[in-house]
Amino acid sequence: MDGAKRDELSNLVEELTTSGNADLNPSKMKAVKKICKLSNVYIDHFYHLIMSQLSQDHCQIRLSAFQMASEIFSRSHHFRLLLVADLQHFLELTMETDTEQPLPPPKEIARKLRRLAVQTLQSWQGTYGDAYKKLVVGYHFLKKVKKVDFEDVDARTLAERRRQEEKQERLRRIYIEKMDKAKQEMEETCSEIEKNLTELNSCMDLLMPTLSNFHLCDLEPLPNSAHPVDDIKIRSSSVSGHELNADRKEIGYKDMKLEEDEEEGRSDWEEEVPDENVALRSAGLLSHKYSLELNVPTEMKLQETDDNEAVINTMRDLHRLLTTKHRPAVQSWIQVFTKVGDEHLLRRALDYKSSVDTALKRHEGLHICYRSRQRRVVRADDTDDEDFEEVPEKEGYEPHIPAHLRAEYGLEPLPSTSFSVAFQMHPQPDEKPSISRAANAPATISASHRRRIREEEQDPTCAAATLKVLKKSLQQSASSSSACAGLEQGQGTTGTAEQQAEDTGGQKAIAPVVPFGLDLFYWGEEQPSSGKIIKSASQHQFWVPHEMEEEVENEELSAQGKSRYITFAGSFQPVQHTCRAPMPSGTLCQRQDRVKCPFHGLIIPRDECGNPTNPEDAAHMMEEKRKKREQQPDWQDTELMREIEAATGEDLGSSRSYGKGKMGKGSKGKGKKMKYPNLTDLKQSSNTSRFRLEKKVFNKSSMRRVTEVMNKMDRKKHDKFSNQFNYALN
Amino acid sequence: MLSFLTARQNGVDGPIRLRRAESTRRVLSLELNHDRDVARVHGNGVNTIDIEAIEGRYMLSGGSDGVIVVYDLENNSKKPQYTCKAICTVGRSSRHVHKFSVETVQWYPHDTGMFISSSFDKTMKVWDTETLKPAEVFQFEGNVYCHHMSPLARKHALIAVGTKDPKVQLCDLKSGSRSHVLQGHKGEVLSVRWSPRYEHILATASADSRVRVWDVRRASGSLFNLDQHNGDKSKASSEAVNAAHDGRVNGLCFTYDGLYLLTTGTDDRVRLWNSATGENTLVNYGKVVNESRKGLKFSVSKGCSPEFMFVPSGSSVAMYAVHTGELVTMLNGHYNSVDCCEFHPDYQELYSGGKDCNILAWVPLLRHPDVEDEGSTAASQSAAQSAVNPAFEDAWSSSDED
Repeated sequence: MDGAKRDELSNLVEELTTSGNADLNPSKMKAVKKICKLSNVYIDHFYHLIMSQLSQDHCQIRLSAFQMASEIFSRSHHFRLLLVADLQHFLELTMETDTEQPLPPPKEIARKLRRLAVQTLQSWQGTYGDAYKKLVVGYHFLKKVKKVDFEDVDARTLAERRRQEEKQERLRRIYIEKMDKAKQEMEETCSEIEKNLTELNSCMDLLMPTLSNFHLCDLEPLPNSAHPVDDIKIRSSSVSGHELNADRKEIGYKDMKLEEDEEEGRSDWEEEVPDENVALRSAGLLSHKYSLELNVPTEMKLQETDDNEAVINTMRDLHRLLTTKHRPAVQSWIQVFTKVGDEHLLRRALDYKSSVDTALKRHEGLHICYRSRQRRVVRADDTDDEDFEEVPEKEGYEPHIPAHLRAEYGLEPLPSTSFSVAFQMHPQPDEKPSISRAANAPATISASHRRRIREEEQDPTCAAATLKVLKKSLQQSASSSSACAGLEQGQGTTGTAEQQAEDTGGQKAIAPVVPFGLDLFYWGEEQPSSGKIIKSASQHQFWVPHEMEEEVENEELSAQGKSRYITFAGSFQPVQHTCRAPMPSGTLCQRQDRVKCPFHGLIIPRDECGNPTNPEDAAHMMEEKRKKREQQPDWQDTELMREIEAATGEDLGSSRSYGKGKMGKGSKGKGKKMKYPNLTDLKQSSNTSRFRLEKKVFNKSSMRRVTEVMNKMDRKKHDKFSNQFNYALN
Repeated sequence: MLSFLTARQNGVDGPIRLRRAESTRRVLSLELNHDRDVARVHGNGVNTIDIEAIEGRYMLSGGSDGVIVVYDLENNSKKPQYTCKAICTVGRSSRHVHKFSVETVQWYPHDTGMFISSSFDKTMKVWDTETLKPAEVFQFEGNVYCHHMSPLARKHALIAVGTKDPKVQLCDLKSGSRSHVLQGHKGEVLSVRWSPRYEHILATASADSRVRVWDVRRASGSLFNLDQHNGDKSKASSEAVNAAHDGRVNGLCFTYDGLYLLTTGTDDRVRLWNSATGENTLVNYGKVVNESRKGLKFSVSKGCSPEFMFVPSGSSVAMYAVHTGELVTMLNGHYNSVDCCEFHPDYQELYSGGKDCNILAWVPLLRHPDVEDEGSTAASQSAAQSAVNPAFEDAWSSSDED
């Protein structure tokens, strides 16, 4: 046996096993084979080397050693004999047949090693099983006792499989529990859901009857169910008009309601139409020669009015209940039941879901325009007319109808503020007479008269309409001027808050809202006791305190009562520029920060490509970049990276950065190079905070100190005079 | 071999010499052989094995799942390759099967028509081999660890039973009742053995680390205790007086001549005692790994010139020379701890069973033809062998040449 050859073999084995690569270096492996081929003596040596490498606590070493072993195993009978003779040990080291000796980390490599070992053993059994009895025995042992499934690619051991089963069992139990809960919940809430659904459906039936409903209750007019008529075209063929009319009558569109402008929200067009003539007239048709073609859109648009308010409110509540509560609940049941696989329950839940969904869809189809929910002022004289209603005050806001719609509605209208003010039955004695008021009709105006006026006004051919337009323009200018006047007034006077409030609302919009303070409370008055601190004299019968001033004037306090700080931040100016720093995706950063982009730093002028235009900026950036490259990027948490490396067995370069960091700190590190730089460092993965703490807490010397102290305490207990203080102290 | 043969031919040696020399050689060459296999029937660990002494043909095995199997060891196929078939089994489907682990099985010493098994289900059953039905069932209060029937008794048919109870029970097959109780142990009785020399002498080993030797005719108590220090009080601590081992004693075996008794204990020691005097012979066998909480079955060779002992040691079987304590070899083959081994005295084969469900047959290596005879035949022989089994050849690929 050649000593040089022997050493070479040892070196080669060490190099190959500590390379950390997943595959062996073919040229080195070839050299190993060449040496092994020379004599069985080398194979003996090789076997011992491999076994010692296999027992290293590093899976990368073991994996490489195993690969080498399998290479030689397929070639040398002698090696086979050696290996098979100690197959138990070999399996323990490569397939963790002994649960007491798990494979060492990194975990990912360990899994790989086991998989490879199982596959290799199977192939060995196939080729050499006849010749080596122990191999067969071992194979059967693995198959029968360790329950290694050789078909299973993942080569899970029995324990692993059991763990998996347990997990599944646990999950199943949880699911069943969930199912029971869901079932119970369903039992409890299904009646409620059904009730809500029927309620909602009946509400919707009330609002938008279906055909069948009409056949049942034919002549029942449905108040306020608004059927939008988008397009009215007048054509000269009367026949079709008749037909249409008749048609309409038949299906019960008796009360035709033209959609009003939304702001007023009034439904003053609904009228019982007793006969066809009246219907014609109200539709603005003069004779039957006109035919009215109605394009009834399939989609509904429902306007909330007072009459249907109750229904809509209920519906709204129900809708909310269904969407926020029942639907998610049903959804979760379905999830649970699908997981468990209970068909009956699943079908039931699906039924609920579909019915809820259809109801919601139907509700959506109604397109209900809700009114804003603010409560209206209840009108005092409600008896006056039911057609005209109180509207919420909308000061300084002109309802706007697009011009094209106005034409369609046949309204030339401009239901101006004059009306709203007119019907605002709050006569204000101290209010200045305004033009709008002058133009108003008196409050006592009769309903019929008013309606006539309105009708006239809406007729573009009438004089009233033109008059109204004129009035409107006049009023607009007047209201703005009055607003200005009111503002002046409000600033001039104090202590008349009520009056101010009742004044025109334009000021309110302008007036700043300031928190109420003492200065406002005593606005324009002398504050009685501001800044005075009153000290009460002692009333003790014997104790007479030192003579002192009973009232102290504090200037600061008094100043506080009279002054007020108003911070002026200026008005907000939106940022116009973007960051425009080039991004890895090729686009430019679109962030609009005022001064500094959180990602790209100070915002500097840049050209189209995102390069800085100023040369000094560019230089600065280059400098920054260089610095950053030198430093380790802060997202690379070395500890985390090390853990990942330990888990995956891939080199992310944590050791490099770690080493650099160390050197940067100038720590005492002896600079001892890692023996095998290519292997994943296992020790560093254990360099966690817990480990460090453990090292400190369970340090031998510290433990000894603790035990010493405790022993001392124990001894004290047994001392004779320990309960006497002068002995206890020492 | 040849010299022995000529010596025998010339009448220089007695017949026993040749036999002894050959059997010794065979025992020394025991190995796990591909030619002999035992059918894998047990799905769980094998606790006990027994080979009948009449024909040496049938082997019993008891598993920890309660299954009892009878194997045929004889190879009638005229081929070297042979798998011992399981002739019959008392499987899980049988009505009479032991509910729990079978701890001991033993053939009736005088006939193969009967065998006895004891189990952790607190019963001992006497089976009829033909019908595989229990002829007699003895019920006990605790787990039955072991039983033994005297291999040479003519005057009695007593089965000694060691249970969880410290009292050793003697069951009489003639009357089918428990006739005796031997009191003296303080722990569970893990092993009992009748002497193969005197039919009334019984040795029992217990978890209280004592080994007692009884004469069942004596009512007053045991004959003596085995003491590891041979009565030297200075060496023994006060508790360990008369203790055979420092831990539990879980194995007992007489040599075939009955003159010596071997014990194993959980202190990882094996001791050899003079069975007549109870004296510790102080043979040092070194460490024999023994972690079994139950009884351990081991055996000794028969008819070899130095006798050998086969004792399970961890996952292998250790072979020692009995009187010198020399470790001859370790038989590695099991993948889990070995519980029992049984020596076949006629063919010098060893059968061992372990927790890895295997029963392995250790067969003497066939003598290679002597090279001196004819060189050419030897060469052709080896060539033939390698032709038969190409796996024995090296397979260095040509690409490795350069």
